[in-house]
Amino acid sequence: MRNDDWKKVSRLVSKKSLWMVHFCTGCGAMEMPPVMTSRYDMERFGIAPMATPRQADVLLITGYLSIKTLKRVVQVYEQMRDPKYVIGFGSCTINGGMYWDSYNTIKDLSKYIPVDLYIAGCMPRPEAIMDAFLKLMEMIEKGEAIGWKKYHKYYDQYKRNQRMAFSYRLDEVQDIKEDDAK
Amino acid sequence: MVDLIALGEQILLLAGMVTLGFAIGMFFNGFARKVTARIHNRIGPPIYQGYIDVFKLFAKKTNISHGWIFDLAALFSVAGITLAFLFLPVAGFTLLSTEGDIFLILYLLAIPALGFALGAGASGNPNAAVGIMRALILMLAYELPLVMVVVAMMIHYNTTSLATLVQMQSGMHWAIFVPVFFIGAIIVDMALQGMLMEKPFDIAIAPHEIASGPMVEFGGKHLGALMLYKMMAIVVETTLFVDLFLGGGVVLSVSQYGWIAYVVNFLVWFALITLVFFLALLINAVFPRFRIEQALKFYWKYDALAALLILIWVFAGVSI
Amino acid sequence: MILEAFGVMLLAVIVVLALDRYPRIAAAVAIIASLLPLFALTSWAGIMGISLPSFLAPLEFESSLVYNLGPGTLNLAITPLGWFFLLLLATSFPLALLFASSFVRNRAGGFYAGMLLTMLGSFGVLLARDALTFFLFWEIMSWSILAMVLRGGDRRAIVSYLSFGSLSAMLLLFGFMMLYFKTGTFLFGDMHLDTSLTTLVALSMIVAGLAVKGALMPLHVWAPHVYSRSEEPFVAFLSGGLSKLGYFGMLLFMYGIAGLSLLSSWGTFRDVSYFGYALAVIGAFTAFAGTVLAVMQDDLRKLLAYSSVGQLGYIAIGIGIGTPLALTGALFQALNHTFFKAVLFLAAGAVYYRTGKWKISELGGLGYRMPFTFLAALFAIFALAAIPITSGFAAKWLLYEAAIEKKFLFVTPIMLIAGVGAFLYAYKILYGVFLGEPRYDVKEAPISQLVAMWLLVLPLVIFLIFPGWVADLAAPILSEYGMQPIPHTPYVITTNLAAYNTLAVIFALMGALLVSLILYKWKPQEVVPHEDNYLAGEPPELYEYISMHAASNYYEPFEDVFGPVFRRGAERAWEIILAAAEFLGNGARRLYTGLTQDYSIYILLFFLILVGWWLLW
Repeated sequence: MRNDDWKKVSRLVSKKSLWMVHFCTGCGAMEMPPVMTSRYDMERFGIAPMATPRQADVLLITGYLSIKTLKRVVQVYEQMRDPKYVIGFGSCTINGGMYWDSYNTIKDLSKYIPVDLYIAGCMPRPEAIMDAFLKLMEMIEKGEAIGWKKYHKYYDQYKRNQRMAFSYRLDEVQDIKEDDAK
Repeated sequence: MVDLIALGEQILLLAGMVTLGFAIGMFFNGFARKVTARIHNRIGPPIYQGYIDVFKLFAKKTNISHGWIFDLAALFSVAGITLAFLFLPVAGFTLLSTEGDIFLILYLLAIPALGFALGAGASGNPNAAVGIMRALILMLAYELPLVMVVVAMMIHYNTTSLATLVQMQSGMHWAIFVPVFFIGAIIVDMALQGMLMEKPFDIAIAPHEIASGPMVEFGGKHLGALMLYKMMAIVVETTLFVDLFLGGGVVLSVSQYGWIAYVVNFLVWFALITLVFFLALLINAVFPRFRIEQALKFYWKYDALAALLILIWVFAGVSI
Repeated sequence: MILEAFGVMLLAVIVVLALDRYPRIAAAVAIIASLLPLFALTSWAGIMGISLPSFLAPLEFESSLVYNLGPGTLNLAITPLGWFFLLLLATSFPLALLFASSFVRNRAGGFYAGMLLTMLGSFGVLLARDALTFFLFWEIMSWSILAMVLRGGDRRAIVSYLSFGSLSAMLLLFGFMMLYFKTGTFLFGDMHLDTSLTTLVALSMIVAGLAVKGALMPLHVWAPHVYSRSEEPFVAFLSGGLSKLGYFGMLLFMYGIAGLSLLSSWGTFRDVSYFGYALAVIGAFTAFAGTVLAVMQDDLRKLLAYSSVGQLGYIAIGIGIGTPLALTGALFQALNHTFFKAVLFLAAGAVYYRTGKWKISELGGLGYRMPFTFLAALFAIFALAAIPITSGFAAKWLLYEAAIEKKFLFVTPIMLIAGVGAFLYAYKILYGVFLGEPRYDVKEAPISQLVAMWLLVLPLVIFLIFPGWVADLAAPILSEYGMQPIPHTPYVITTNLAAYNTLAVIFALMGALLVSLILYKWKPQEVVPHEDNYLAGEPPELYEYISMHAASNYYEPFEDVFGPVFRRGAERAWEIILAAAEFLGNGARRLYTGLTQDYSIYILLFFLILVGWWLLW
């Protein structure tokens, strides 16, 4: 069997077993219980909640992220093993949502970690979440969910953005920008 | 050369049995999730979900380790549980178990547990240490009623070899049909619940309290190996119960019926371990979790007291 | 050559005392002198039916000796039982000294002198053929242990050892004297005991006296204090080697001198004498309580000390049951315990040597720093927990089989549950000391310490593969007691109930390990530093404020359940006895008022009682 075929089989099987770790920030965490329990039952697609990022494949960012939380999210994301996927919930992760003018939340999650899939809504309904998972599975099968590859490829840029977000003084931001210029 | 061929056949048979054991274990994983889902009024994953999960874990692109002691966990847990399986009489197959006895198997079961604990401790995660502590105390808790009943049985049947015990129970003289050992079977079934770490005794894993305890740092192929261990452990532990009380699933004698007996016995054994596991799942699906000292007190107070009655019965029976 | 050996060892004692300032030279002298018992061992290998090549036995030792020592005679001779226990002591002793050569720094001369004297004493005890010689050498050994305990300088250890040591000496002396008045001889060979009550009392006293050294409950109180407050090489030899002398004495007096038929004459229960049954029950209680107490300790040495007490209990169970199977199991357990407990104490010493800490909760993460020490300790722990990848399992298995064979319904579960309890404290050592968060950036232990530990691990591996060899060694001992050796080949031990085939276990384990190794090595992996650990996403900067080592109060739920029952139970019982004695003594003191009229009343009362007794009788 050629390597490509093997990869295809591997993707085909792996998509049926998505273990997720949900980072419960914001209000999106409330949408998870109905998805997991008997009303929608995501387990029928092989999706199961896991306790630690070491075991998980999918990271769910369920709402807005403050700068402080972003630090933890990056730590958790880096502890997950490849291949790994990120789903951003709701408008907060897309453009800040109702926190669009807040001084201490991030506005665009994909600047800091690669996001494979966004779910629009404030908050998205469980149907939308189910739909997102099915979409992610489809993407995995086609080999389009390549966020983890992007993170490896553009690691420096992601790190730079993260450092920019973490630094709370303007002169630190200036230093980072000067470093980039060199 | 004939010897070599015989040896090769033997090794092939062993390898086949072990593969089958792992396959049944992985089936049990999906089966357990399906049954639990149905009790929860859900649809649940497909019944072959266990195979997919293990495949996915071994197909992970990158794996992390915390050093060579951490790696011992994966090695010892898979090797140790395989060893324990090989020494068990399975459906009348006694490959390595013709001489092996119950104490050997109980201690062989400790190899994967201790190896697993070694690797979990080496990760340096406090959750893992707490999980192992709970697992070890739970082990101490359920072993007391278990060994009390086992010792009573061994003294009653005057053997410590499980293979001999299975032979003695053949012809449907199952131990569970002896009234006193029927109580013993209930006691051991309680112990089995702790052994399988199903609720209410899933104290060591407790995903919501201590982040899946010992497994907290395991991912990818390490977790895959541990899953194989846990799945095979289900087969080994339920088989232990079946061998002790249900005659090992042997219903037809091989000398009389030839290879048909092997097939039938095998199917009966499979049905019986599925039944035993199914009972454990029913309890698992509806119970919350004990605290560890509650589990210890449960086993040492109620279960062990009932086991003591059996010991006294055998004591009196032996004296007469 | 025996006398010369004693002479050379005494000479070496003086030399090492003189070499107090040169610890390395003193160590060399002591190690050379310590080889003498080893050469005696190899020279006497013939009596066990072992033929060794001549370069292993360079010195020729006579097999018996009668030496006139002024007021009495020393009767020395080698017996199979003595040879077996000499095997344990003579092999572990030079290795303990080798370890000490880099471990003991201050007042080293005194250390080696004391060690040599304990070995001299135990050498004599093992060879003694009459009660007085036995007692003489026993006391040499006991008092030199006291000298070593004094070096530790802990008051509690000294007081408890002194009181229990003198209790032991008193019991032994009383026992020997009663046997002498009964039989008119001190010679073991001429003692023909009858079934009278006096003999029973004498035997019980002797066994109790020996049980003090064997740390059987409730006479174990001294052991945790002494084991935890003396230098590790000495404790390794004390726990590994010297404590076995108590069980050597029990075997000698119960089966060598009294004999099974005499023990059975005081009543039997399912063919086990009441005497043995009592010993087995005490042994089972010791095994269980020692284990529970070991689980609760935080001091590494105390933990190992209580684990010693627990493991020695198994030997007492075997001796108590007294079937060939049980005696073989007891001898096997004695052999295993010698080596694995010596390794564990030495590993604790090596850890202390590098870190200066004894508390388990303060250690951690040494497994990656001291890998060879860790592996040696791991092997020893596998033996301790009776995992079937070391020889530890065979011994416990023989004892379980023996207990089931004799239908010991209540002792067997206690033994088994104590075996499970051993996992608990074994893992506490592993996690607390060697695994978890690395806190110390230390080097591996010195080479002399590593060599000592690994040479002690060797027997655990050898007797894993060939458990039959121990049965071979036990066969001449059993035949002396008129018993049949258990059926065995080098790899397979068979009992009435089942059989244990080590080759099957080893080959299956090797195969399974190989397969899982292939499965495992299939995928690449990277090693991440310890800081990269899942703590709910907390970033590593915070780690310097958080201790990730969860080893303090490790078994807290367990302690909550068992603590109230077991903690300091035995000591409290002895303290109550002490208080009672003090109360009685104080009462008696009041009688001595110093007034003449009181004393005359006492004399009058005494005569009245005498007369009254005479009248009534």
